[in-house]
Amino acid sequence: MAYQPPSGARDLLPLDVAQKYWIEARLEHIFQQWGYHRIITSTVESLDTLMAGGAIDQATVIELQGTGQTRLGLRPELTASIARAAVTRMDQVGYPQRLYYTANVFRRAAQASQGEQQEYYQAGVELLGSDSALSDAEILLLLNDAVRHLNLTDFQVVLGNAGLTRSLLAPFPEPLRSQVRDAIARLDRITLETLDLSEALRQRALTLLDLRGTPADVLQTVSQLDLEIEQRAIVNRLKSLVELLSGGESPLPLVLDLSLIQSFDYYTGVVFEVVANTPQGRQVVGKGGRYDHLLGVFHPQGQSYPGIGFMLSVEGLHQALLPSGYLPQDTPASDWLVVPRNDRAAAAAFAYAQTIRDAANLVRVELYLDPESSAAMIRDRAKKRRIHRIAWVSETGSPEIETVN
Amino acid sequence: MLTIALPKGALLKDSIALFKSVGLDFSAFLDSGTRQLQIPDPTGRAQGLLVRAQDVPVYVEYGQAHLGIVGYDVLREKQPSVAQLADLGFGGCRMSVAVKATSPYRSALDLPAHCRVASKFVNCARAYFQSIDLPVEIVTLYGSVELGPITGMSEAIVDLVSTGRTLQENNLIELEVLYQSTARLIAHPVSYRINAEGMEQWIEALRQESLAIA
Repeated sequence: MAYQPPSGARDLLPLDVAQKYWIEARLEHIFQQWGYHRIITSTVESLDTLMAGGAIDQATVIELQGTGQTRLGLRPELTASIARAAVTRMDQVGYPQRLYYTANVFRRAAQASQGEQQEYYQAGVELLGSDSALSDAEILLLLNDAVRHLNLTDFQVVLGNAGLTRSLLAPFPEPLRSQVRDAIARLDRITLETLDLSEALRQRALTLLDLRGTPADVLQTVSQLDLEIEQRAIVNRLKSLVELLSGGESPLPLVLDLSLIQSFDYYTGVVFEVVANTPQGRQVVGKGGRYDHLLGVFHPQGQSYPGIGFMLSVEGLHQALLPSGYLPQDTPASDWLVVPRNDRAAAAAFAYAQTIRDAANLVRVELYLDPESSAAMIRDRAKKRRIHRIAWVSETGSPEIETVN
Repeated sequence: MLTIALPKGALLKDSIALFKSVGLDFSAFLDSGTRQLQIPDPTGRAQGLLVRAQDVPVYVEYGQAHLGIVGYDVLREKQPSVAQLADLGFGGCRMSVAVKATSPYRSALDLPAHCRVASKFVNCARAYFQSIDLPVEIVTLYGSVELGPITGMSEAIVDLVSTGRTLQENNLIELEVLYQSTARLIAHPVSYRINAEGMEQWIEALRQESLAIA
């Protein structure tokens, strides 16, 4: 029988890994430059933890056969896990925690039988303990820095504010409010046009649906709405944020979109999605936002702390970057092939290989394992495998060096 | 380039006429000699994809097409993640439950429990019979659903009815109307949010044009 990975699972071979690592290493480099520290949380979480934030659809969680009372699942994202792990430290740490992760996540596909992927890789950051306007700016500027460090140029960031949109929906009486919210989240204009609403409320719903475009235009439209003091404060803060983000050499390419909400989420402030143009079409390769109540859910005394973060999809970035030519096209070739001239030269060959490996920088040295081969064949193999040099080592230990590539 | 998925079949002519009215010409798809599935508008501003009606939301959901035209019946059946931007008014029809005219049934509730219902629209049929709390067995067919009751395979069918002539000619009668359907303008949500290929201006033109026709 043929042993294949289960439907929706895939193996990453060395070249896939080299490309994935290229993306992750560049992201981690930027995260570290901004003072973020890596956190590793458990792949397996209790279902209670995963569902606590109220943003995860249980049907998408791959559950595990547990032993006791606790139902277990594979994490579909990291924010809940990090909130759970970090909140207990918040009391002792008097400063904001800056955390990053690169990790695998799992999502049950709606139609797993059709082989839709179930295991994904994400890299992301969480900035916990600050609700200042500067922390919004830090996260979005960090996002810009990280994406640009990947040499991704054809991308846009769709920026909204879940708190503002939610409060602009307050005049709608329930249960209409959730229907309107849901229709706006799905960009369903037809439902808004046909729902049983007063003319004034319908106009308001359609205005909310269309609060999208260049930041200046959208801010102007929203400023003309009849805003309460808190709403005006959010709009002003958004305005300063947009101004801050549009400066610099390579400003964040922004679309302001106050219809960017979800039917269920834990976001309370800015929310955003990174849209990249890939050969498979435009797709969301990252998203994030501010969640000021999530940590309280995990705190033993319900003490909450603000938080903001984002995640980037490594697969999505990979697709977007493939045509750019920046990703490694081959696995790295060995620098040296050390060939023992005969069986008796083995010890000398191993010893010589080790002296080359001990260089300050990474030098890739591999040993030729079959001393009976002809020199021509060894040379031929080294050429094919792009190996730079061959060191022929005899029993006495004196190497003869030959450059092949 | 702006890419538009157009549905083969009943909605194609009206869809092409609508795009023509805003300045995009895909009438080559109507040419019986044409076998091309992807053609550019002569002005080079957009291209059309000719796909089966059920596949329109698939191309739009995955972002290969920015815009598409599809019947509400397909959207209701498949529940795709697409932006629904305008009711275009044409392609009017209704989703109905029908039975043999000679049968004793005069309402869906008369149907015996656990009877068979044949349909192309299995999700919609299932949801309807659940909503009236009648357990039935749904049989999936891909065409000529009317043969279900005629051959005796099923007691009833759930299918689209536009003029009612097919039902009449096959001695079937409508018992219930589940919903009315018309053609809808749909968009890839992510592309719509960032106004990819300047699609917003086309959407606005199409909305104005379809309002003018209505």
